[in-house]
Amino acid sequence: MEQVSDTLVPLTLTIDGVHRTEAVDRRSLLVEALRDDFGATAPKTGCATGDCGACTCRVDGAVVKTCLQLAVAAQGSDITTISGLAPRGELGPVQQAFWDEQAFQCGFCLSGMVLAAEDLLSRNPEPTDEEIRWAISGNLCRCTGYETIVAAVRTAAERLGAADS
Amino acid sequence: MDGGGLVVSHDDSAAALAQGSAYSGSSVRRHDGDRYLQGHIAYSDDLRLPGMSHAVLVLSPLAHARIVAIDTEAAQARPGVLAVLTGADLAAEVGPIPNAMDPAGVGGRDVALRVLPVSKVVYAGQPVVAVVAETRAAALEAAALVHVDYEALPHVLDAEAAMAEGAPLLYEEWGTNIMLAGTAGTGSFEDVRQTAFGVVEGELRTGRGAPAPMEPRCYVADWDVQTSRLTWHGTTQAPHPLRHSIASFLGVRERQVRVVAPPVGGSFGYKNFGHPEEYLVCALSRIVGRPVKWVEDRTNTLRYGSRDMRLRYRAAFGADGRVSGVTCHMLANHGAAAATGAFGMALAGGLALPSGYAVDVFEAEYQVVVTNKGPYSPMRPFGKEASALLMETVMERVAEETGLDPFEVRRRNWVRSDQFPYATSTGLLLDSGNYEGLLDKVLEDFDLEGTRAEHARLREEGRYLGIGLGFEVLPEGADIPGALIGASDISTVRMDPSGDVTVLTGVTSPGNGNDTAIMQIVADRLGVSMDSVSIVQGDTDICPFGFGNVSSRGVLTGGGSAALAADDVADKLRRVAAGMLHCDDPGRIRLGDGMARVEGEPEQALPISAVAGALYTVGYIVAPDVEPTLEATRTFKMHNIRHQPDDGGQFNLFSTFSNAVYVSVVEVDVATGLVEVLRHVMVHDCGIMINPRFVVGQFTGGVVTGLGAALGEEILHAADGSLSTSGFKTYLLPRANDVPAFEIAHQVTPSPFTPLGTKGAGEGGVACSMASVLNAVNDAIRPLGASVNELPISPHRVLASLQEVDR
Amino acid sequence: MIAQDFAYLAAGSLEEAVAALGADPGTSRAVGGGTWVIPECNRGECSPRLLVDLRTAGLDGIRPGDGSIAVGATCTYADLIDSALVARQLPLLHRMATGITGGRQIQNQGTVGGSAVAARPQSDVPAVITAMRATAVVRGLAGERRIPADELFTGAMQSALRPGEVLAALEFPVATERTTVGYHKLKRSAGSWPIATAAAQLTWDEGGRVSAATLVLGGVAETPVPVDVDDLLVGQSTLGEAMAEVASRASAAVTRPWTDELAPGSYRAAVAGPVAQRALAGAARRDNREGGNDGAGL
Repeated sequence: MEQVSDTLVPLTLTIDGVHRTEAVDRRSLLVEALRDDFGATAPKTGCATGDCGACTCRVDGAVVKTCLQLAVAAQGSDITTISGLAPRGELGPVQQAFWDEQAFQCGFCLSGMVLAAEDLLSRNPEPTDEEIRWAISGNLCRCTGYETIVAAVRTAAERLGAADS
Repeated sequence: MDGGGLVVSHDDSAAALAQGSAYSGSSVRRHDGDRYLQGHIAYSDDLRLPGMSHAVLVLSPLAHARIVAIDTEAAQARPGVLAVLTGADLAAEVGPIPNAMDPAGVGGRDVALRVLPVSKVVYAGQPVVAVVAETRAAALEAAALVHVDYEALPHVLDAEAAMAEGAPLLYEEWGTNIMLAGTAGTGSFEDVRQTAFGVVEGELRTGRGAPAPMEPRCYVADWDVQTSRLTWHGTTQAPHPLRHSIASFLGVRERQVRVVAPPVGGSFGYKNFGHPEEYLVCALSRIVGRPVKWVEDRTNTLRYGSRDMRLRYRAAFGADGRVSGVTCHMLANHGAAAATGAFGMALAGGLALPSGYAVDVFEAEYQVVVTNKGPYSPMRPFGKEASALLMETVMERVAEETGLDPFEVRRRNWVRSDQFPYATSTGLLLDSGNYEGLLDKVLEDFDLEGTRAEHARLREEGRYLGIGLGFEVLPEGADIPGALIGASDISTVRMDPSGDVTVLTGVTSPGNGNDTAIMQIVADRLGVSMDSVSIVQGDTDICPFGFGNVSSRGVLTGGGSAALAADDVADKLRRVAAGMLHCDDPGRIRLGDGMARVEGEPEQALPISAVAGALYTVGYIVAPDVEPTLEATRTFKMHNIRHQPDDGGQFNLFSTFSNAVYVSVVEVDVATGLVEVLRHVMVHDCGIMINPRFVVGQFTGGVVTGLGAALGEEILHAADGSLSTSGFKTYLLPRANDVPAFEIAHQVTPSPFTPLGTKGAGEGGVACSMASVLNAVNDAIRPLGASVNELPISPHRVLASLQEVDR
Repeated sequence: MIAQDFAYLAAGSLEEAVAALGADPGTSRAVGGGTWVIPECNRGECSPRLLVDLRTAGLDGIRPGDGSIAVGATCTYADLIDSALVARQLPLLHRMATGITGGRQIQNQGTVGGSAVAARPQSDVPAVITAMRATAVVRGLAGERRIPADELFTGAMQSALRPGEVLAALEFPVATERTTVGYHKLKRSAGSWPIATAAAQLTWDEGGRVSAATLVLGGVAETPVPVDVDDLLVGQSTLGEAMAEVASRASAAVTRPWTDELAPGSYRAAVAGPVAQRALAGAARRDNREGGNDGAGL
């Protein structure tokens, strides 16, 4: 890295609860900094044009596609990846439902898909199937045909509802 | 959108496997799902090797051009740059890319493909120069400074134009753009035509589609100077065949290459082997003496296409709707040559004809033509969509001409369930099936007459709905002579002193769960719990030789060999347990629930872990006559492959034939040409299912790929040959709200040729969906006198067809 | 990784942004939500030396004024969707925002201001803000300019903003209680750009007759295509009889149709009529319902 250090800038992020500062090339997309500089490889790069959703993270409370943002523009942000939804190795309810319903195959879309599903349920605890399909429409999956993903989100909603009542 | 939801009935599989099957036949969750869900799976692009450098490729902006000069000086001078290499530089170092399948082996033309071209480029986006640098950023900066001087040549994108007199030639030494031409079939169409009640003829076209897995390709090669050994990590379906191929490319012994395949983010045929970059990184690493990584971007994945065929057909039929003969001319636009064996899609598509229909006379002719589009890539269902589309179109046309119900026409032409095994007119030996049963099962929940009446009523309101049937028979479990694609695989099953079991196998998982399914099979055979079993795939230093995952073989041959190996270990456990339990006959020992029990004497029991431990530690006491290893390596080979041509010159490359019938209901918005799929009712038969939900997952994924191919996905090029559909805003992969909820059921007709009765199930749904949607759209607009014959059925094509009628 | 190096400025105010962009307008670029500019830079299609981030410049307010509402340039689609004020008083804008595809992520990131400046023919935004008679408030070193929406779009990917100018806000006249809206978007699939859109606003008199009608087509040409339907619809209580003429006028208005990978121009011209009819029919339902993702097929 030494010869190209003139483009490195310090970037401080809180990722899945851990506060860190790393030297990041200022030309990096946020997803690249997360993966290459902070070692947070759960978000994936599937297109780098904001279409596939595999890089989706929660940034300061809102789900975003981290390939559409410069890393330097996220200075100081609090970021949650799919790893942060299971902080002590205990799967969260949406993750658990994805496992139970076989809602993934290759898993490349999974980080983004689960975060999109979590975001939906945080705003709409009892979504219809149509609302679920709309909510995950920013995330592409080539393996499942979406059927089991819809089932998983439905199952997670039911379980969360049952736990609340 | 219909709220039908996922209906899965799979009791037949469970029942067939019931004896001693704690896991097989049931939808066990995947064994490592929690690791996936915590983001703890390391894919190829997640690997960080010490000292890893990065390769960026300079791509050709032109579709066809001679390389006049390359100036790399400015790039070489950039800080952090380790090497800048051209095709000419590398030609001195390494050989051409070995063919995964050689077109010359089937009478076609071969070209020695280099990892980077030496004299000319043949498609826009072709890599021309490789830049290796300390960081990806430094490599990108330097790549921008490479100057290539091209002399533009005329280019050709269209297959028909490429065959015309005077067309620009991609590979001048061929003297033609035809890579491969051949025939398949039996009998003379001319003979049956003369006595036929009628003949239909027509044409179909399929758009160029990309496999487009969510994970682009990524390769990391690490040449170790000290051991003279290359370790290769990356996105591949076939580690062992790739190892063989890399060794040949580098001119080293096979043992000097280790291929490690981390979990892949989908492959669908795209990540078999033979892509230039797979080999390029190896050469680069050996040159710079460092690990070298290359990662693909999305646009590049969309340069690789499949389908892109023109199918011309004639079919002779009787007044009773029986089809007596069919001819098919298949013209496949290959794009630039590739070493991936993708040309085989035309071959497989031809051989898969005439699908599951008893058509005695069949003349298929295929031509594979190179053009200045990006290369062809293998993609599920590997050309077999062509056979389904063609035969399902023929059946519809015959129904139209005879006035018979299109569903009835299928019934009259299908191979009957008492005719299996059935030799088709192209030489395949269909293993088993009950095609009419599939349709009967579809119609259990589909009120055909009521739906038709409803559609007639809606037409009065100006709404156009249609019903379409699709049927597919998928030859799987291929064994290709002369290629490292075989209908056999090897597995090792090993039990530790603690009773834990490790399965090592040469098949790999593309994420579909075949690893879990193999563990289910092994756990059942050994009578242990799933959590005491683990599996290792995808490392040529650790796993036995295998063919990876192609042609739906994971459970078929990987599972078959694991079952045989587990049986050997189980036999040994029984012998040891018999000694320990003072039972004279090891055949009376039952393994189950983690226990070895004497049949009929439930109190005479030992934990299997204790039996294993005893063999390792007190073997001389408890089992002095038993060889003290709890390990077996076995091969499972399909026996119904025939490479020696029969008297008619025919051979059989495939071992199992899963099949399906779909019925789709669509609505066509005749004002805009938009098509909406309202219902998609499916019944599959892939024999016994080890894990029905994994199988359903394969199908629903295939179905959505098929819907994409039918309605949205199409690689397009500008007139200058550059790629127009460079991302997912224009290459339209279906999204969750583009597709309806599916209605799925199964029929179980076991294969007589596999020990578990399973059939390959990895390519289902694509072809059937393309056919059922095409037929449904045509059913909807037929009352208006319109029809479409080109896929994807984009709204502008539908509208053009409707406007044609208006004129 | 963006290949060419650049400087990044998180502008603390509109003034700072204007000063930075104005210093060397030819080589600097403003970034709003980033959904268009960042991928473009990443693909090497533009190589600015300076990227000025507007999201830190305090341009994200939704401020009611006298008969109008100013929507800050960096307001995201989610901001619009979640705003009760926008839902009530700018129903057409709200309706469009709820139908923005790409998931909640894009609604959280994409901005109506950024989309207006990008001026892509296939985008939802140009036709809608034209139909709403919005005014773009832009600021440059020379001061503030106000550009009416019907002068904002000068060509495909070309807006009337001069180099160095920044869009500060879009000002929308508030819809009266007697205004109903309709929006129809024809797409090939959820992931495709719109092929054709129509934005309609109808104002009704006390007797339930149309007193004013606006219809603007999007996606069908380089810039939004207004269709004059006032004379057809004013005074009518139902639209049924006028609909055939609406379709033929919409179709005739598309004199130079836009062609791209997703549809030829001839197709866009052909569907302009039905799309226009559907938007007006939506407005005539008079309930300003959320339509979400209507028109998407695959």
